[in-house]
Amino acid sequence: MIEIKNLTKVFPARKGLLGHDAIKAVANVCFSIPEAGSVSFIGESGSGKTTIGRILAGLETPSSGDIWIQGVNVTKMPQAERRRFLRQVQLIQQDPYQALNPARTIEQALGDPLKVIARERGQDSAWIQTRMHDVLHRVGIEPGSVLNKYPHMLSGGQRQRIVIARALTVDPKVLVADEAVSMIDVSLRLGVLKLLKDLREQFGISLLFITHDVASARYVGQNGQLFVIYKGMVIESGPTDQIIDQPYHPYTQALLSAVPVLKGLENPGPDRFIPLRGDDQELIPDTVCLYQPRCPFAQTKCREERPALQGTEHAHACHFPVVRRVVATVRANEG
Amino acid sequence: MSVAESTSVSPKTPRVPSGHPTFIHTAWRVIAKKPGRIVGLAIILFFALMAIVGPYLYPRQLPINPNAIYAAISWKYPLGTDFEGTSNLALIVTGARYVLFAAFMAAIFTVVIGTVLGLVSGYYLGWSDSVIMRITDFVLTIPGFPLLVVLSTVWNFGQPVAMGFVLGITGWGGLARAVRSQTLSLRERGFIEAAHTLGLSPVHILFKEILPNIGSYIAMNLLLAVTGSIYAEVGLFFLGVVPFQVNNWGVMLNLAVFSAGAMSSVQALPYLLSPLIALLVLTLGVVLFLDAVDELFNPRLKEA
Amino acid sequence: MAAEFEARDFHARGVQIRNLRVSYQTPQGDIPAVNGVNLSIAPGKITGIIGESGSGKSTLAMALMNTVPRPGRIISGSVVVDGIGDMLTIDKESRRRAHGRHLGFVFQASQNSLNPLRRIGAQVLDLGRSHNVKDLRALIKRAKELLGKMGLNADRVLLSYQHELSGGMRQRVGIMFALVLDARVVILDEPTTALDMLSQASVLQIVRQIHQERHLTTVLISHDMGVVADLADNVVVMYGGELAEQGSTEEVLAHPLHPYTQGLIKAIPRISGPLDQAVALPGLPPDSAALMAHGCLFAGRCPKRLPVCGESRPTYESVGQGRYVACFRVAGHD
Repeated sequence: MIEIKNLTKVFPARKGLLGHDAIKAVANVCFSIPEAGSVSFIGESGSGKTTIGRILAGLETPSSGDIWIQGVNVTKMPQAERRRFLRQVQLIQQDPYQALNPARTIEQALGDPLKVIARERGQDSAWIQTRMHDVLHRVGIEPGSVLNKYPHMLSGGQRQRIVIARALTVDPKVLVADEAVSMIDVSLRLGVLKLLKDLREQFGISLLFITHDVASARYVGQNGQLFVIYKGMVIESGPTDQIIDQPYHPYTQALLSAVPVLKGLENPGPDRFIPLRGDDQELIPDTVCLYQPRCPFAQTKCREERPALQGTEHAHACHFPVVRRVVATVRANEG
Repeated sequence: MSVAESTSVSPKTPRVPSGHPTFIHTAWRVIAKKPGRIVGLAIILFFALMAIVGPYLYPRQLPINPNAIYAAISWKYPLGTDFEGTSNLALIVTGARYVLFAAFMAAIFTVVIGTVLGLVSGYYLGWSDSVIMRITDFVLTIPGFPLLVVLSTVWNFGQPVAMGFVLGITGWGGLARAVRSQTLSLRERGFIEAAHTLGLSPVHILFKEILPNIGSYIAMNLLLAVTGSIYAEVGLFFLGVVPFQVNNWGVMLNLAVFSAGAMSSVQALPYLLSPLIALLVLTLGVVLFLDAVDELFNPRLKEA
Repeated sequence: MAAEFEARDFHARGVQIRNLRVSYQTPQGDIPAVNGVNLSIAPGKITGIIGESGSGKSTLAMALMNTVPRPGRIISGSVVVDGIGDMLTIDKESRRRAHGRHLGFVFQASQNSLNPLRRIGAQVLDLGRSHNVKDLRALIKRAKELLGKMGLNADRVLLSYQHELSGGMRQRVGIMFALVLDARVVILDEPTTALDMLSQASVLQIVRQIHQERHLTTVLISHDMGVVADLADNVVVMYGGELAEQGSTEEVLAHPLHPYTQGLIKAIPRISGPLDQAVALPGLPPDSAALMAHGCLFAGRCPKRLPVCGESRPTYESVGQGRYVACFRVAGHD
């Protein structure tokens, strides 16, 4: 349903005191999200995964590449039309504190987009009220308890649910959840993850889940696709379960190793390794592997040639792909 | 600590049955918190009332009394009298309308022009920003007071609206710059981006999303613009550069100093002091009330 | 002073908290944030204190240092640190010296604890001077040694301002500050909250290494069960300002006794095993009304509640070697 081809985003160089060189945030990324499907992007902060989500939601324009939504090439549309069309893609931001206007009540926050829709469809205010209650029920919130409140009166978990409810008002086909649970208390995270999962399974809303936490990507998109992204490039991709079970790329393995092991319930994977993050090297020449400066397994070839993404279903960009068992396993005594 | 957060969702919090507590209701709760705020509000209301009904309390032509020129303070003349034996109190009360109305108009002009231009400039950026900011810089560099002096030679300031307009048109530059910088920081916030992706119109974003967040700042500026304008116009009249067509506080000050010699004679002192005290009390009222404005218009300070 | 500074003792120090009460004064009345906590923090171990926001875990951490900010107030109790005394009654000057010298504190977001206008190295010297360290050269050497051990380019970091460092680097600098004066007890308040997984894993690894090398007593405060389960030797579960359960990490995770602990563990998205075992924790943290009520704090969210749970609060009882729990469902409570 959504097809992204060769997406590239370069932030131009800036001169002056706070200037920087041109930054290639996203480089030649291709992926597609099927109807009611799920795609997860994992990577650390600064990997460019956020930029991909923002491009899809229409908040950034790509430097090159094409975005096809339901057979229409969005990048070729005039701006006003594109904005309307991209309403089908709604972004759930990381910080629900920032995503809600502190000066407006929940009723106003949900009512604004509903008024626009009602005008387009020739509906009245009763319809707005019904829809408002409907979307709140979908995200598991009792409307009476929140409508007259301001965002600061709600908890983090409630706020993120309101943000999701607001996105649902415009009938999106795709939700882009960018680190949507990282600011929420861990005890409440699973509830929001389950909500995203349910919206996909019950209402057919596709999900682009952007995170640094492989475990939550596994929870919301177990039967979906997983893309591991490093410095703007996809370095491993494939079915989520397959990548977790058989990771090829050392970076993927590092991400999987980083998931905390629950003592008493799990045994750490025998090959688990935790690289101490060194200083980031700003510029890596195009001729070497991007991950090579940090890779504990780097060899001479890695410093001489950049590996291309190879493979079809389960692809990876590594000269020396070795499956390492880094994922913790469940102890037999559980349950 | 998030203790405050968990208490704010308490079901025990009394809720107004009709849903929203009305603005008047919350406003009163905020003002009643501190006695200073009540005093401030009372003073402002008192002067507003004076401006509205004051002129109706006295005959159009205030009575003169040749036997009581520069009379001392007494029951009959609570603030003494002027050079014609007219009650100073009557002069203050009837003179309030021009002063306050002109100041109010000036503040409205300042705030409306400054806010709209600041919002548009900070939100759209690009060429409109450049144009508006150049105009703003120009306005900021005009020395307002001398301009008024010059204008008054060609313009009749008998109407308070005209006076207010000129004060407003020269005074919005600072506010426009401040609103622009606040808009600049707000437009990067998540909820503005969310409004974009939800397809909300720019007008909605400017006036419904951004404006309420700078509401308290603008309301404070409105009040400060009122006092600032009062000083400016009283100053104009005091200097005598504007023809005296109507009775007002500035005219009183001018006559007291330059005609009655209040600086050297004790006799005319009440004539000089009464408009000064009126100005001081009004300013005090505004300053006391300012404290409540931030809380009134800042949604984050609202309680459940 | 300098001689004392050089002599490193390798006796890990424990902390005994007795009947600690801290409350926050609000217009609605005093709200208890820490309510009668009794806890012995074992010397030489990593103790993880876990709770959701509002559970009082951060307040407890600050009470350990006797630095509860207003409008909070320590009402009663004692915090005895081995070799120092009761942090709540010693005089101001000794308390100030104890901070840094004996008790190291790593803040939630280390950027807030670093001065944005001074280089990191200058701040190390400031710290040394305020603690009357004679040999500042040795202090810088130790700072470099610590930073190097954490995988940082020490010379570059000491010459940097805080805004020039990434989140993960700042957190490491925070750990360096807590340890550079050779503190024996280290308190880490949400050390990995703002970090991504890789930085989190390396910070945890650093804490683990340094803890072992220096025979520290480490207190780790977190809302993330995963972080605590990965790093800590002992777990203390806090709920609504009171202790709900404690024990060795393996024991608590494999056999949680309190329904809240059970719920927390089930709510972790796991990387392996069946997915449908993950169940979200229902309900919201206790509000001020629940804190004042007589019943069990967790009763409103508890799937296993009994009639008695709404009437009285279960006491915190020992149920085995180092194991404590406050629940009527567990044997030992009547």
